[in-house]
Amino acid sequence: MTIENVKKEDVLALKVEGRVDTTTAPMFEDEIKKNIEGIKELVIDLEKMDYISSAGLRVLLSAQKIMDKQGKMKVKNVNENIMDIFEITGFDTILTIE
Amino acid sequence: MNKKKHKISIVFKSVIGIICIMILFSVAIGIMGFRSYTNALLEQYSEGAFNTAKIAKKEFDVDKIEEYAKSGGKTEEYLEEWQKMSDLCNASGSTFVYVIRPDLKDYKHITFLFSTINKNSDYSCYDFGYVRETTNEEYMEKYRNLYENKTNKELLVRDKGYIETDPHITAMIPLKDNDGNTVAILCVQRQMDKLVKVRNNYIAKIFYIFLVLIIFVIVVQAAYLNHVFLRPFTSITEETIRFSDENTLPEKKLSEKIKSNDEIGILADSIDNMEESIIKYIDEVTKATIEKERIAVEFDLAGKIQVSMLPTTFPAFPDRKEFDIYASMNPAKEVGGDFYDFFLIDDDHLCLVIADVSGKGVPAALFMMASKILFANYAKMGKSPSEILEAANNAICNNNPENMFVTVWLGILEISTGKLRASNAGHEYPALMEPDGKFEIYKDKHGFVIGGMKGINYKEYEVGLKKGSKLFVYTDGVVEATNVGKELFGNERMLDALNEKSVESPESILENIKKSVDIFVEDEEQFDDLTMLCLEYKGK
Repeated sequence: MTIENVKKEDVLALKVEGRVDTTTAPMFEDEIKKNIEGIKELVIDLEKMDYISSAGLRVLLSAQKIMDKQGKMKVKNVNENIMDIFEITGFDTILTIE
Repeated sequence: MNKKKHKISIVFKSVIGIICIMILFSVAIGIMGFRSYTNALLEQYSEGAFNTAKIAKKEFDVDKIEEYAKSGGKTEEYLEEWQKMSDLCNASGSTFVYVIRPDLKDYKHITFLFSTINKNSDYSCYDFGYVRETTNEEYMEKYRNLYENKTNKELLVRDKGYIETDPHITAMIPLKDNDGNTVAILCVQRQMDKLVKVRNNYIAKIFYIFLVLIIFVIVVQAAYLNHVFLRPFTSITEETIRFSDENTLPEKKLSEKIKSNDEIGILADSIDNMEESIIKYIDEVTKATIEKERIAVEFDLAGKIQVSMLPTTFPAFPDRKEFDIYASMNPAKEVGGDFYDFFLIDDDHLCLVIADVSGKGVPAALFMMASKILFANYAKMGKSPSEILEAANNAICNNNPENMFVTVWLGILEISTGKLRASNAGHEYPALMEPDGKFEIYKDKHGFVIGGMKGINYKEYEVGLKKGSKLFVYTDGVVEATNVGKELFGNERMLDALNEKSVESPESILENIKKSVDIFVEDEEQFDDLTMLCLEYKGK
């Protein structure tokens, strides 16, 4: 998994590539935690994400909860595989997917 | 390790090096001494020879040469002259005093006008007028110089390994007439026997001195090396061997044994420090290992407790002929977050649960325990599947700072009618098989995961099971099992595996799935839990 991180004032854009599973999810969580302070808009690009496990979904849920308090969060370029996972787990109902 | 071998090699190399240097040194000194001895003696010899020649020149009357020539060297005067020269030759220690006249055309022949020889010599002198070939080119060159270049003296040195003659020098001065023309050459030849003797003596002395010196150096150097290098190195070697065997600090530190401020002393200090660090490290590792083992035991126990929470006795309901149920869980780690559950709420209602907690390890296991108990409690209170999920979700959300969640499929079967009411909180789709049909994915309505957000409403649906219908629920460990080529097992392969044994008992069906997944992933480590539950409805 690799994460590309672009911060512009209070907008944080993350591009997540590869597999987000039990092993890599903590890195994903750290990346969000250390950058999220003062952010009003969080955009997560999942175009090149291959797989997300429940551990990765938990990170998205945590991020969503933080952004509910301090701004908004968007998830974009969700590919078919990931969308299936979102639909099965009901994450499509709580995430703003573009 | 062969200690002795190392010992020899260090001293040997070092001594050999020194011997080489000394040999070079002695050869250099020898050559230098040899040269200066030769030069000094030559100078002395040549000076003597020229002095003799000068005296002889005074004695010799040049003007009379023609006269002697005519008489063939038989006159009184000539004999008188000869006697004087002979005395001079003997007195001066010269070997040979003679006057010659070279053939001026090419200097290849010389004519003796006069020759006297030392009385101790084995040779005899040449008669007047004796003609012989010039000895060699060197002599010709000297003669030519004296005649044509009008040099005042010439010296010829023959000291280099001649076998036929001893080393000797020949001093030559020209004899000139009143007009200053060279008419004859006066030569004084001296043996240099002393030179050779002294030189050989010198070389022998140099040889013996250096031989003694070399032996001395070998002894001293070996002793010195032994003291400075070998003893410390032996101590260091012994200490390192002892340390690797015993892994304890020494009674006496190396730096106390080797009191030296050179590199060896530094090495000894470093080894002391290294030993201390290693022992400290070993202690830490030992502690960490004990701690790790303790944790591993606890993990193991936690796993056992977790499994003991699940119904694992099959057949689970031997006296109920209306259905058959089988479930299995193969956790990827000691403890995982997957679980299944089934229990009778009352005589006519069977509750089925399959769930997957986010994450792995102890936190997931604890979370799983809590949710399992919540689901069971709410079910036993008589709530419907969606009500159970909603109540459990709200209860979990009240205290879930870590944002953990659990996906659940929960169904309640009315045994008498075959009506299955179910609700799905973010869990995998169930697979259903109609009697004599095939397993197919049942795309049920999905709600959000449990524990994610408070106040979620879950949808509920009903499926009528007929006699022979089968239901298969599972966790993502099955469909997301990954092989070496990073390929997922997927729904298709799962359905194929189900349908291979679709007519058989739930137990055989689950075993076949496990087998198929194992074949698919081959050598890849099982990454996720493999949890499955299969129900066969047999009707009344």
